[in-house]
Amino acid sequence: MHGHWAGYIGNLHVHFDTLIAMWCAMLFVIIMSLILTRKLDIIPNKMQTVAESIMKFFIENVNDIPQGEKHIPLIGSLFLFILFANLMGQLPLKLIHLKEGEIASPTNDINMTAAMAVIVLFYYLYQGFKKKGIHAIWHGFSVSGIIMFLVELLEMITRPLSLAVRLFANILAGEILVMVMVSMFAIALPIPFMLFEIFVAFLQAFVFMMLSIAYISAAVTEE
Amino acid sequence: MEAVKTVSDMIYIGAGLAVGLAAMGAGIGLGIATKGFMEGASRQPELIENLQKKFILGAALAEACGIYGLLIALILSFK
Repeated sequence: MHGHWAGYIGNLHVHFDTLIAMWCAMLFVIIMSLILTRKLDIIPNKMQTVAESIMKFFIENVNDIPQGEKHIPLIGSLFLFILFANLMGQLPLKLIHLKEGEIASPTNDINMTAAMAVIVLFYYLYQGFKKKGIHAIWHGFSVSGIIMFLVELLEMITRPLSLAVRLFANILAGEILVMVMVSMFAIALPIPFMLFEIFVAFLQAFVFMMLSIAYISAAVTEE
Repeated sequence: MEAVKTVSDMIYIGAGLAVGLAAMGAGIGLGIATKGFMEGASRQPELIENLQKKFILGAALAEACGIYGLLIALILSFK
């Protein structure tokens, strides 16, 4: 099982390997965006073309939400960050081995994915309250209204829980699968599984993004 | 092979059952999703682009349920 390089900062229990890997992914996304958006022009150069195609991908996907483009900052940064965080764990040797655990994907730590899921929860609740006021969760004093209110309360727990556990478990299971394959076969046979894990990295980032879009869309759409 | 004697041996049975049952459900779900995708795609091939995106999303959601079982099995067996 994966260990974590745990320690304390003050009273906080901290996983340092997750922190370091997270900062690496963050730095990578920030530096990449800075490089890609240099020298913007009407006639795009190569880097601007890449940036524009990424942006077009997001714009196509937030079409479900009315005025969806104002949600792109959150949705897009979630997607890019999760994508690079997942891909970091698929480097064949995990590069740096520590005494306890290794610097792999930060998304194989449930604290990381739970934090992102809670961000999405607060964001869609905030958008819902801004749009509809108290009617975002309260549907009036009837039997069906109260049942709907209870269901909304339940969803506040189950939605972030399923978001967090899905991403975390997929990445962790992928890493363990590759680990088992590496220890079982001598050479070359684990490579298909590693390639599959790269596909899973894209897929899980996409799924996280699409589910966030679906939740935000449900929160801001009038019935 | 020795018989199962203690509670800690039973844990592995539980882990195996967790992964097996979860994989069964996920497999059925994936099969239904693929069936729907193929039917829709063969009836209206011009919608394939749109269907494919939703199919991949649905397949990932169904697969995640199988992964939950795997997670429980790992927690049980590495405890």
